Amino acid sequence: MSKNIRDKVAIVGVGACKFGENWDMSREDMIVEAAYEAYADAGIEDPQKQIEAVFCGAVYPNGGTGEVAEALKLFDRPISKLSNYCETGTDTFRYGVMCVAAGMYDTVLVVGFDKPKDRGVSGPSVSFDRVRGLPATPAGWFSLCAARYFQTFDAGREDLAKIAVKNHHNGTLAPKSMLKREITVDDVLNARIISWPFGLYDCAAQSDGAAAAVITRADLGRSFRDDPINVKAITIAVGANPQSDPNFDFLSWKPTQVAAKDAYRQAGITEPFRELDVCQVHDCFTLTEMLTYEDLGLCKKGEAKDFVASGVFELSGELPVNTDGGLKTFGHPTGATGVRMIYENTLQLRGQAGERQVKNAKLALSHNIGGAPQACGIAIIGHP
Amino acid sequence: MAIFASDGRPLPQPTPTTQPFFDAAKKRKLRLQRCPRDGFFYYPRSRCPKCLGDDWTWQDTNGLGEIYSYTVDRIAHDPAFRAFAPFAVALVELDCGPRMTARIADCEVSDLRVGLPVEAHYEDVDDITLVSFRPRTA
Ligand SMILES: [Zn+2]
Repeated sequence: MSKNIRDKVAIVGVGACKFGENWDMSREDMIVEAAYEAYADAGIEDPQKQIEAVFCGAVYPNGGTGEVAEALKLFDRPISKLSNYCETGTDTFRYGVMCVAAGMYDTVLVVGFDKPKDRGVSGPSVSFDRVRGLPATPAGWFSLCAARYFQTFDAGREDLAKIAVKNHHNGTLAPKSMLKREITVDDVLNARIISWPFGLYDCAAQSDGAAAAVITRADLGRSFRDDPINVKAITIAVGANPQSDPNFDFLSWKPTQVAAKDAYRQAGITEPFRELDVCQVHDCFTLTEMLTYEDLGLCKKGEAKDFVASGVFELSGELPVNTDGGLKTFGHPTGATGVRMIYENTLQLRGQAGERQVKNAKLALSHNIGGAPQACGIAIIGHP
Repeated sequence: MAIFASDGRPLPQPTPTTQPFFDAAKKRKLRLQRCPRDGFFYYPRSRCPKCLGDDWTWQDTNGLGEIYSYTVDRIAHDPAFRAFAPFAVALVELDCGPRMTARIADCEVSDLRVGLPVEAHYEDVDDITLVSFRPRTA
């Protein structure tokens, strides 16, 4: 069982480059843009002296640390790179937080980045391996859950469509999002099918991007700015591959349930729906967001479609989810996504989220899942 | 390293562990490993996924099951599968216990449903036999 990390580490600076098909930017360009925005946000004038170590997260490049050192001209100090499926960003943040909490360094930079558009395919090439002789994509993996979920809980494509419509709306209000276009439920239902029941609008937009955060010891937070945001919980859980686990029921993400329980315990949360003010959850596909509502304990298993229909997860609702458009429209540069969620939640908690601001946000959760899927990372941050 | 069929599809490459599965498939049998404590399991591997024991044996199953869940690939990410699109990929819950991910053959996409009774179906591709499922004929 994890030990308590609550209120030991503060976020004092966040930044992100614009997410999208960034043909005119290199990975280094995006890293510099995100990191220097985070420096400015934290009031850091001399990163050479003030940034003691760097934690980077990226899925696609094999190397990474030298690239970040060169880009930021931060030499002769610890730089580590992490890759952990789609929860890479959250796990990278976790390593930075643990290192500061352990007292190794006072102030470190966390930077997540990826540039999948240069690869020429929209998604990792994956296959059902071993004896199956079948090809598949992430859409194929996740869609396998849908027919069973629909049948068990009397849900359908129109329930998923409402999630896509919400996230498209929220994305129009986020200056750095990739897609800025309102859509309707009919647009979602009539779009070409990618992997049934997922149509085009059920699938997230893979994009290029980078996001960064400057974190420091909680007791030093106010020396950077007068509104530091504290880390309340940080955890990950890795479970079995659904394709090899005979007991996986394809109705829930077990690692999310396990990680949520641990995160709530760390943060002292007993009623997540009532206590959390804003959430960023992993919406690689609309169904992923639907199941995540349930697995995070925001509602009971099978209730998600009724909660969606009631509008509680919309910007004006009781618990807004994916306020910046999520993976769906803000974009999904794999290694950057978890850090982008920290960026959005920090803005929300400071009251700096502009048109998409959630009123009186004091406690925020971010969530990634990755793999087949088999791993989950959760961060909870809030007012000190 | 991938091997490819004459029609371009990537083919599974039998290993010492999976060879009996493919040998049985060639003879139109769905043969799986069975742990004395935990029953049948799939895919083939060196140890039981539940108890990690290696005292399993190969045993024939009746090859029957029903669709637990499914999706339809209409795009065929791999160009070699475009000739087959749209095709169904299903989780089949076998009578003998485990679930298998497999293609559903001889079935209109519109006829797919959770709970559809299916039987093992065998397709010879070059030197190997692939296992898929099709709606039960009897
Ligand atoms: Zn066993």
